[in-house]
Amino acid sequence: MNLALHAPILAIAVPLLGGFALPLWAKFGRPLRDLWLLLVSAATASLVGLVAFQVYTGGIQVYTLGAAWPTDTLAPGGFPIRIVLAVDALGALVGLIATLAALVGFAYAARYLAEEEGKTLALTLGTLLWAGMLGMAFTGDLFNLFVFFEVTSIAACGLIGYRTWTSRGPEAAFKTMVLYTVGGLFVLLAIALLYGEYGALNLAHLARLLRGSTVDRVTLALLLGGLLMKVGAVPVHMWAPDAYGEAPAQGVILLVANTQVSLYALFRILFTLYGGLADPGIGWLVVAMGTLTLLVASLMAVVQMDLGRLIAFGAVSQIGYMLLGVGVGLTVLASRPAYGLLALQGGIFHMLNDALAIGLLFLAVGAVEKAAGGRNLGALGGLGHDLKWTAAFFFLGALALAGIPPLNGFASKLMIYQGSFLLSPILSALAILASILLLAVFVRAFQGAFLGPRMLQPEPVPSSMLLAMGALALGVLVLGLFPDLVVRHVVAPAADALWTGREVYLRAVFGR
Amino acid sequence: MTLFTGYGFWNPLLWLAGAAGVTLLGLLFWSRGRRDYRRGEGELPFLSGESVPGAHVGGGHLYWGFVEGLRPYVERLRGAHTGLVNDYVGWLVVILAVVFLIVLVGG
Repeated sequence: MNLALHAPILAIAVPLLGGFALPLWAKFGRPLRDLWLLLVSAATASLVGLVAFQVYTGGIQVYTLGAAWPTDTLAPGGFPIRIVLAVDALGALVGLIATLAALVGFAYAARYLAEEEGKTLALTLGTLLWAGMLGMAFTGDLFNLFVFFEVTSIAACGLIGYRTWTSRGPEAAFKTMVLYTVGGLFVLLAIALLYGEYGALNLAHLARLLRGSTVDRVTLALLLGGLLMKVGAVPVHMWAPDAYGEAPAQGVILLVANTQVSLYALFRILFTLYGGLADPGIGWLVVAMGTLTLLVASLMAVVQMDLGRLIAFGAVSQIGYMLLGVGVGLTVLASRPAYGLLALQGGIFHMLNDALAIGLLFLAVGAVEKAAGGRNLGALGGLGHDLKWTAAFFFLGALALAGIPPLNGFASKLMIYQGSFLLSPILSALAILASILLLAVFVRAFQGAFLGPRMLQPEPVPSSMLLAMGALALGVLVLGLFPDLVVRHVVAPAADALWTGREVYLRAVFGR
Repeated sequence: MTLFTGYGFWNPLLWLAGAAGVTLLGLLFWSRGRRDYRRGEGELPFLSGESVPGAHVGGGHLYWGFVEGLRPYVERLRGAHTGLVNDYVGWLVVILAVVFLIVLVGG
C-alpha cells in the first residue's frame, strides 16, 4: 500500500477505529490500553505530519473514497460524486493544531486523570474528538463536514459531562449539547437546501455552481448561524465558558482545538464555497462579531473569581481576534489590498498561538485544581512557593495571550492590529483595549493564585503534567522568538489558501 | 529574524536586546543604592501603619478600583449570562435573524 497516497483517509480512520477499540483493550488491562493509545497517537500524528509535509511541499492533497485510484475525483459524468478529501495548507495547519492538542492532552491525562474517575472513557472520547476534528479539517465534501461536525459535537459533549458525579459538568454538557444540536440542524438544513438546488454535495463542485440566488444566500445565513455558534462568537458564546469551565483540563485543550477547527470550517465556507460571491457586508458581519466577542469576553473575564471560568472567557476573547483578522480579509477580498492579507495571516497565526497559550493556561489551571483542591481566587494564594513550574507556565501563557512581547501572541496580534487599523482605526483601538483588559485580568489571576504568603499546602504536580505544559511553553517561546519563520513557511501558505487559493482548490478537485 | 508586516516590523531579538539594556540600567541604579539597607520588618505588609501577620492581597483585591469602575458595564453583560439554556437558544435565534437580515437584505 502506498502510505503517502492513503495518508489523508488513514489519518481519520486510525484515531476513529483506535478510539472505539480503546475500551476493549482496557478490558484486558490498563497497560494494554495505554500502549494502544500510544500506538494510535503515534500513528495518527505521523500520518497527519505526512499529510502536512506533502501539502506544504507538493500542494493540495486530494483523496477520493471508493475510486479505482484515490486521485480520480470525477465520476464518468465529469463531476465529483464520491466522497472527496481535499487538504490544502490551511486544512493541514488545522490538522496539526488538533494533533498537537491531542498529544499534549493525552500526555497530561496520564497522571491527571484517576482510573476510578472514568479515565478510559475520557481517553476514548478524546480520541474520537481528535478523529472528528481531522475529518472536518480534511474533508472536501459538505455533507461529510456535517457528519464530522456531529462527531466532534457528540465527543465534545461527552468530554464535558462524563464526570456524572459532579452536578455542573453534566449541566454544562447538556447546555452545550442543546446549542450544538440546534446549530447542527441549521447546518444540515443548509446542506439539504444546497443539495435540493444543485444535486451536489462536493464543496468544490458546489463552489462552481453557486450563482448567488436567494436559496444560496439563505444557506449561507444558516451555515453562518450554525458555525458562529460552534466557534463561540458573542452573543452565542455562552455555552463556551460553561463547557471550558467544567470539562477536565485535558479535555478543555481538545475543546479549544475543536473551536479552531470550527473556525476553519467557517473560513472554508466563506472563502472557498462562497468566495466567488464575495460580499463586504458579510465580511463586516464577521468583523463586528469578532470585535464584539473580544470586548465582551474580556470584560466578563474581569469579574470572574473562578480561575477556570476566568481563563474560559479569555479563550472566548481570543476567538474574537481570529474572527476580526479573517473578517478584515473577507471584507476586502474583492479588491485584495495588502492589509487584507496581513490581517488574514494575523488571524490564522493567532489560531496557532492561541492553541499553545490558552492550552497552557488551561493545563496550568488543571494542575492548580488538582494540587490545591480548588480554583476560587478568593481562597487561593501563594501557590508559587510550592508550584514553581506551574506558576512559571501560567505566567508565560498569560503574558502570551495578553500579547506581551516577545511572546507569540504579540506577533499575531500586531498583524491583526495593523490590518484592522487600515480598515478602521476604531477596530484596532478596541482590540488593543481588550488586550489591556486581558492583561489586567491575568495579572490579577496570577497574583491572586500564585503570589503572596503561603495559604495552602498543595500536592506536588506530577512530572508528566509538567512535561505536557513544558511542551506548550516551549512552543510559546519558539513561535515568539521566530515569528517570521512560522509566518513565512506555515502561516502564509495557509492564508494564501483562502486569499488567492480558491481556484487552486477547485482545480485540484476537478483536475482542471 | 525580522517579521515585516508591510507597515512596520517586529524583531524579538532586537526587543530582547533592548530589554537587556533596560535591565542593565536598572541594575546600575540598584548598585548605586544604600549599602547599609538590610531586609527586615520594613518589608512586611501593613494596614493603617500596623503590621498584620499573614495579610495577603488576594485575587479579589487586586485592581479593585479598575474592576469597580467597569462593574456597571460588566453587570449588564453578566445579566445576559443567565445560565439558562432557553436564553442561549434565544440568542442563537436572534443572531440568526441578524445574519439573515445582513445576508439577504445587505447582499
